[in-house]
Amino acid sequence: MKKRTKRKLKKILSIVFCGLVYVFLFAPIIYIVVNSFNATTSKPYLSWKGFSFDWYVKLFDNDTLLQSFGNTMIIAISSMILATVIGTLAAVGMYKFKFKGKAAIDGLLYIPVVIPEIVLGIALLTLFSNINIPRGMLTLIIAHTTFSVPFVIFNVRARLGGYDMSIEEASMDLGAGRIRTFFEITLPVLAPGIGGGALLAFTLSIDDVIISYFVNGQTKTFPLKVYESIRSGVAPDVNALSTLILIGTTILVVLTQSGLIKKLLKKA
Amino acid sequence: MKKKRVLSIVLSVMLVSAMFAFTGCGNGSGSGANGELNIFTWTEYVPEAVIDKFEEEYDIKVNWTTFSSNEDMLAKVRAEADGTYDIVQPSDYMVEQMIAQDMLMELDYDIIDNLDNIGEGYLNPSYDPGNVYSVPYQGGVAAIGVNTDEIDLEITSYADLFDESLKGQLVVLDDYRAVIGMAARSMGYSMNETDEDVLSEIEEKLLTLKDNIKVYDSDSPKSSLISGDCTVAYCWSAEIALAQEENPAIEIVFPEEGPYVFMDNWAVLKGAKNSENAMKFIKFMLEPENAQMVSEEFPYLNANEKGVELMGEDFINNEAKNPPSSVIASGEYVSNLDTDTLAIYDEMWTKLKR
Amino acid sequence: MTKHKFKAKTLPALSMVGPVTIWLLVFVAAPLIYVLVMSFCGIDQFYNVSYHFTLTNYKRLLNADYVNIYGHSLIIALATTLICILIAYPFAYIIARTKSKKKSLLYMLVIIPFWTNSLIRIYGWRSLLGTSGWINTFLMNIHLIDEPIDFLYKQGTTIFGMVYCLFPFMVLPLYTAIEKLDNSLLEASADLGAKGPKTFFNVILPLTSGGIFSGSIMVFIPCLGYFFVADILGGGNSDVIGNLVERQFQSGNNWPLGAALSIILILVTLILVKIYQKLGGDMDSLGV
Repeated sequence: MKKRTKRKLKKILSIVFCGLVYVFLFAPIIYIVVNSFNATTSKPYLSWKGFSFDWYVKLFDNDTLLQSFGNTMIIAISSMILATVIGTLAAVGMYKFKFKGKAAIDGLLYIPVVIPEIVLGIALLTLFSNINIPRGMLTLIIAHTTFSVPFVIFNVRARLGGYDMSIEEASMDLGAGRIRTFFEITLPVLAPGIGGGALLAFTLSIDDVIISYFVNGQTKTFPLKVYESIRSGVAPDVNALSTLILIGTTILVVLTQSGLIKKLLKKA
Repeated sequence: MKKKRVLSIVLSVMLVSAMFAFTGCGNGSGSGANGELNIFTWTEYVPEAVIDKFEEEYDIKVNWTTFSSNEDMLAKVRAEADGTYDIVQPSDYMVEQMIAQDMLMELDYDIIDNLDNIGEGYLNPSYDPGNVYSVPYQGGVAAIGVNTDEIDLEITSYADLFDESLKGQLVVLDDYRAVIGMAARSMGYSMNETDEDVLSEIEEKLLTLKDNIKVYDSDSPKSSLISGDCTVAYCWSAEIALAQEENPAIEIVFPEEGPYVFMDNWAVLKGAKNSENAMKFIKFMLEPENAQMVSEEFPYLNANEKGVELMGEDFINNEAKNPPSSVIASGEYVSNLDTDTLAIYDEMWTKLKR
Repeated sequence: MTKHKFKAKTLPALSMVGPVTIWLLVFVAAPLIYVLVMSFCGIDQFYNVSYHFTLTNYKRLLNADYVNIYGHSLIIALATTLICILIAYPFAYIIARTKSKKKSLLYMLVIIPFWTNSLIRIYGWRSLLGTSGWINTFLMNIHLIDEPIDFLYKQGTTIFGMVYCLFPFMVLPLYTAIEKLDNSLLEASADLGAKGPKTFFNVILPLTSGGIFSGSIMVFIPCLGYFFVADILGGGNSDVIGNLVERQFQSGNNWPLGAALSIILILVTLILVKIYQKLGGDMDSLGV
């Protein structure tokens, strides 16, 4: 009896504790969602002036804001693809072959992961500024690829840990070429690792502030646009866009969690 | 199993966002028929409506970036490749410095044929004799905003900002020349002192301000004043004017010592890719009705006399929006200092902010 | 023979590892070496980097005021890391060991906030914590307080923001480590008569220490550089080293000094990573 109440108490305590942590994680998000419906039109948009959808309408007139979001997506997708391709190749190559300088490459890989982002940011800034590459979309994609590559490699490598090289040899013995073997045997085995790495690359890219801050030139990403608007008071249309992004991702998560997408894919 | 789920989430997120992205840039990109213009201005200083109007009238696509101090602007312009920005908006002393560094282009007064909209008193400034490189835009003073509902202390001078009763109440400009200069003026010194003994005296005084400062904000100091997070502000006069509109209890005080005065200007960078469009833009900004739009949203001391006439009595008689000329005359401009002295200023600033 | 070896080994190895190697050399190694070189340079009167050897920057770094900021910055990072461990550990433990079907949902709920821009969430906190923000309004409405509490623009606010931003980096490695725990070990420990705390300190904690270490690295180091958190929530009153670097590359217009400041960040990172490796930490797990 006593033991049961104790266990129950423990359970309640842990639910309360986790609940508080989730409140901590979501409180500002709730604020953003609520404020996206704020009818206020005067800076700094802090006081509540009633409920309205106005800012959602205005959002679609705000070209610079929409464009910044478009930029973010273009950069995230391009750098993710680039990082995934060269990262996957490198991870497999480093696993399969022994060569001099492997440790050095490893060392270089750890740098973007561990050094504070600001160091990489200023280092890239000085590089681009010295060789006079105009800052913009290109430099942003380069920078984002640079900090994403190691994450792709580590994820693929984790997957390679349990990879049996002999199936590749078997495939080649059966007459498949090296390249065909890579695409038909190696890649499918590594897919989850590659996917995980790509997800990480994408997530890091869409949320990056610090490195983008130094290498963006005139091109604004969504986070930089937010940083700029924080300086003068965040307009509710920024909140509205954030809310839409949040709703979009949440719906997708719910769909995938409930397996709906899989069913749809199967039907198609 | 779980990883596969994650993977399918990723893929679908990307698909949807890619679609978003392309609709997004479909709206925004594409330059105007008459090319582009890259402008680099202060935050909260140029109304979006005016830029939109320019884009429409001239069919020029404007790329607009903002900065929060002259030094920030200089750093960005220097770091970027030539031609990244066409137009910048330096203050008085920065115009002088940029001329010295050969960074500015001579203005084309064949295109800019309406310079006479600017008041006589603002033309031919000492930092750019003959307005060869710059056209005055707006200016003002760094004044004191007081929320009289919360503050009983009678504030009349910069020196009063150091009063112990104001502990944790101040929002001040995040600008080292402005804050150190204010401390200097509160002691009767110049904002441009170079003597090391005097500077160490100023430093001592400056550090007593530390406890009073709650937040440093150059971009929108009015926000803290309006939200009530701070009750006293040391900031640009127009910010106080805008705060007054939200909360009438906020009053503007012009310091007895004579304030820090500034005048911001339009200038075109050497190596600008769109110099002709830049000249057109300056001409456009000089037109009285556009100057009026500027004053309506950002009520600084407008150098455009014809534009000010359009604003009417309320604007002209509002001291916060249109500081009296006696106040301007009693103030001081920031001037350029050598790098060694600036290093001392930088150290004082670090000490204050640590 | 040698030609065959080239085709069979060197060529594929080169074409697979080559791109990343070149990429890292050009975009990581070269710029960092340049930053190191620049940290020994001065500036001329127009703020240009002038290439003559000088130790001025490093002398300025030893200035008591800078040292004071490093100290504060380290305190902020340390406090953030400790708070993250204290909250994230029990949290990760509960969600990793729950038998509920909602386990993967609970896990996703930690990641979802990530997909909303971190700046705007920090801004959200600033609005919530303000004098007239929701929290003060709520506390005043239930008459718990008469005067609004001054939450904003203090060192504690900066720490709060850092914890908020970096919390998931602590939860995720801990979650992975705890999920891997073998139930039979815990049962064995209980069978041997070990009480809860004893099992925790002798069995669970050592087995999950890897997660704590990698989480700590992933939290501590970014803390030194997250200048925007110190900017938005600290109001410029509780700068971290990142703010110093940022200032020299922006309004300070002194790149060599900024470069020297970044060298400090690199040194701190190197020391921490060495300690991490000494403790048996796996570098790859920092990025998975």
